[in-house]
Amino acid sequence: MQQQRQSSTVATARPAGRTLDVEDVTVRYGLALAVDGVSLSIEPGEVVALLGPSGCGKTTLLRVVAGFVRQAAGRVRVDGAPIDHLPANRRNVGIVFQNYALFPHMTVAENVAYGLRARGMKSADIEARVARFLGIVQLEGFRERLPRQLSGGQQQRVALARALAVEPSILLLDEPFAALDRNLRLDMQIEVKRLQRVLGLTTILVTHDQDEAMSVADRIAVMNQGRVEQFDTPLTIYDRPNTLFVNGFIGTTNLLGGHIAALADGHATVTLDAGATLQVAAPAGLASGAPVLLSVRPEQLTLSAEGGPQRWPIEPGLSLPLGSQLVHEARTSDGVFLKIVEPRRPVPPPTGRSYCALAPDARPSLFPRPT
Amino acid sequence: MRPLLKFSEWQLALPLGLAFVALFLAPLMLLVGVSFFDDEKLTQPGVASWAKYYGDPFTYKVIADTLLLGVKTVCTTVLIGYPLALVYLDLPARWQRVLLFIIVMPLLLSVVVRTFAWIVVLGREGLVNQLLLSLGVISEPLRLLQTELGLVISLTQIEMPLMLLPLISVMSRLDPNLRDASAALGASRWRTLFTVIVPLSMPGLVAGCLLVFASSTTAFISQTVIGGVRLIYLPLVIWQQALIVFHWPQAAVASLSLVVSVLSVIAALSWLGRRSTGYVHG
Amino acid sequence: MTSLRSPTRRSLLAGTAALGGASLLPRVAFAKGSLIATTYPGTWEDAYRTVVMPALKKKDDIDLELAPLFAMDQVGKAKAARGAPPFDVFVLDPGPRIVALEGGLFEKFDGKKLTNLGKIPPSLVDDAGVCVGAQVVGIAYNPKKVPAPKGWKDLLVEPWVSRLGLTGFQTTFGTSSLIELSKQFGGSLTNVEPALAELKKVLPKVAAVGLPAAMPGLFQQGQCDVMYTNTQTVATLRGKGIDIAFVKPESGAIAFFTTMHIAKGTAELANAYKYLDLVVSKEIQEALTKPPYNFLPINKDAVLPPDLPMKSLDEMTGYVQHDWAKINPLRASWIEKFNKEMAK
Repeated sequence: MQQQRQSSTVATARPAGRTLDVEDVTVRYGLALAVDGVSLSIEPGEVVALLGPSGCGKTTLLRVVAGFVRQAAGRVRVDGAPIDHLPANRRNVGIVFQNYALFPHMTVAENVAYGLRARGMKSADIEARVARFLGIVQLEGFRERLPRQLSGGQQQRVALARALAVEPSILLLDEPFAALDRNLRLDMQIEVKRLQRVLGLTTILVTHDQDEAMSVADRIAVMNQGRVEQFDTPLTIYDRPNTLFVNGFIGTTNLLGGHIAALADGHATVTLDAGATLQVAAPAGLASGAPVLLSVRPEQLTLSAEGGPQRWPIEPGLSLPLGSQLVHEARTSDGVFLKIVEPRRPVPPPTGRSYCALAPDARPSLFPRPT
Repeated sequence: MRPLLKFSEWQLALPLGLAFVALFLAPLMLLVGVSFFDDEKLTQPGVASWAKYYGDPFTYKVIADTLLLGVKTVCTTVLIGYPLALVYLDLPARWQRVLLFIIVMPLLLSVVVRTFAWIVVLGREGLVNQLLLSLGVISEPLRLLQTELGLVISLTQIEMPLMLLPLISVMSRLDPNLRDASAALGASRWRTLFTVIVPLSMPGLVAGCLLVFASSTTAFISQTVIGGVRLIYLPLVIWQQALIVFHWPQAAVASLSLVVSVLSVIAALSWLGRRSTGYVHG
Repeated sequence: MTSLRSPTRRSLLAGTAALGGASLLPRVAFAKGSLIATTYPGTWEDAYRTVVMPALKKKDDIDLELAPLFAMDQVGKAKAARGAPPFDVFVLDPGPRIVALEGGLFEKFDGKKLTNLGKIPPSLVDDAGVCVGAQVVGIAYNPKKVPAPKGWKDLLVEPWVSRLGLTGFQTTFGTSSLIELSKQFGGSLTNVEPALAELKKVLPKVAAVGLPAAMPGLFQQGQCDVMYTNTQTVATLRGKGIDIAFVKPESGAIAFFTTMHIAKGTAELANAYKYLDLVVSKEIQEALTKPPYNFLPINKDAVLPPDLPMKSLDEMTGYVQHDWAKINPLRASWIEKFNKEMAK
């Protein structure tokens, strides 16, 4: 889905950033379509996450941009100029791999200097540049270490310094945090985001971790089976998923079956199978009487003791405290299991709440029910 | 409990250790012992066999020729085998299996069959000569059999699996991302080859060189059948002394010379290998 | 005593045979007797396994076990066993025969115990053993490629010299041939220098210098078209459809005999005589002359195969023969000299 280019003032604000355009790129592996006509326009200095389950084509797309994989059709442009004819070593992209791919026989300094040597830079300049980037990733004291003498986080920072030292026009991150433990991952995410901001680098992040995509990316392209299902800001994707797939992949959600009873100016009256009638915003393309699925995030549901036309009966299940939240399980009369989240209060919640309803600020999504 | 466990672990290695002593160390000691007799009936202890062997300048030529043959074979197997290993890595899995089969095939054939096949290829009326004659490149058959060139050519094919198998095994364990990382950093294919792939495949390369060297310097059948007996290497001398002349002390001296000269080259190679292995594992 | 020793040497031999790549037939438990005889690897082993082994079982109910070993291996193993031979019967060429004789490795042989004694020329039996086969050595050439050479001297001139395949002193036939060559240039049984000197002069022209075992292959592939060899090799190659003919040199062909001997200290003396009696019998000797074995017989009743340079056994016993007692002490130095003179 081609996005309209925003005003160019953003680009001038971040002088180092380039635009990156992926146009109708298709990649075939034998008969299988790994990437199926994908188009993305990425703004200068923007971080875009390619998010999706394994095998969705996100890594293949990244490798097309890097020049490791040749696409069957389509074009990649940097600042408007096509780069498809360039081999990987002429594209000036920086890439950080999931396993970092540090050269195991070279020291930290040699790793960082590698790209500079390949560019034929003078050794004095290389020296200065290496020192600067090791400083940026706070590894000044580790110059002479071999990669195997470093921790995972340190190795990742070396990989980052190595990729950044050549001053690439585009930064590509291939699941760079996946091998790190939870705490370190958060630190590194912040660090990468900080560096990317400072350098103003246009960045693609490939990940299967929605939290990572949400926290690091300016925009997320959710991919499934070689296609982009939705390309938007994290909040839009969370609140207004375009498709059932995106809806299911991002965050946790409850799906309630029902029919459209009536339609009027973008709003639908939905009769739930669970036994309630609700007014919700409706997307285009739904007809009256059509079977639908209503998607509601767990925090957008509430429990109460009394029934009503917009409430449906439930059979309460387990309640689990989860940090600052309380998670309730419940079962509707048509057999759907619901998850309901509410903030934990000092007093335990009242018992006997056997009705469920939308919270006042709920923004449920409506999808046609797949047959 | 702990010491007992240690003891049983130690015991586990015992059969191997004993087999090693019985099958390797003892015969070697016997060989050393036999070499210190002066006469073929093994009645007169002495150093005459050593003195005679090393008093003959011809000995040094034979040792040098033998080691040189090993070096030449190692060079040709590296020059052909290394690119082949690179090709192998880039092939799809199906073709890798085909190529691997072709590579391993010489190992599946008896050495005699392999060697006589080369007579058919290199002979005066062999494939190579017939091809060149019919193409008009030459008017007289080339002499390929009974020359060191022919011998090195055939040893290159015969020993190739010993070079390729360790090389491929080490190279296919290399992280494929390293090549991509190098390319993304702006390195050309050649720079990637010489600064990343070659240094990291050193352990396989050294192991291959080691095997090829040891095998080609001792390849008695190929040396004598393809090279003929005008090319004299140590295995021929050992064979003559042990099985024709039946002078065991002389044969023992020649055998020990072969063992020591080949092992010293191998020791140097494996020292190199250990140094380069340090980078990759551990 | 015997029953105690027997398993040891059987297992020793089984090991030896396994190393030689030969498969030993499982022993039949209730045979009347057994015997272990050596044989040369290759044609000898095939022939004895196919022809002699079943015949001995049929005639005397003796299980024959064959140990494929080269002559000097047999001598070496018998020497190492020190009085407890790992086999009962040797098969040897003239050179190794002398070595074994000097080593006292044979039982005294009594020809009168052979029922076939009268069928063997008297010169082929002595108190060490009995001849079981003959070799006639001369010059073989490819009649499609070169004219027939007349004698040893022809080998060193064109058109033969550039097609000549040489072997050294490793084999009996090689040694004998080089001695005969040497005689043409003033040498003698104990002086091969003239031959080596003449060979050295023409060495760059010579087509091949190889191991004896490699020569038939080289001839077959056209690498050389002239060589000195025995009639058996010629017959075998001709049997494969290769153009090859045998020439008796003007100065005479060389004959030597392969002999069998009973190992000193054997426990199977009676069976050994039965075996030797069978081997020299008309039936076996004649069967072994047939392709693909092409042996030369030593039994006067055996019909000689066609294409041989002689018409009768008596004629063959008149061929050039060499005294290996004189050759043996010199052979080591000849081999060394050959190495040095021929080395590139």
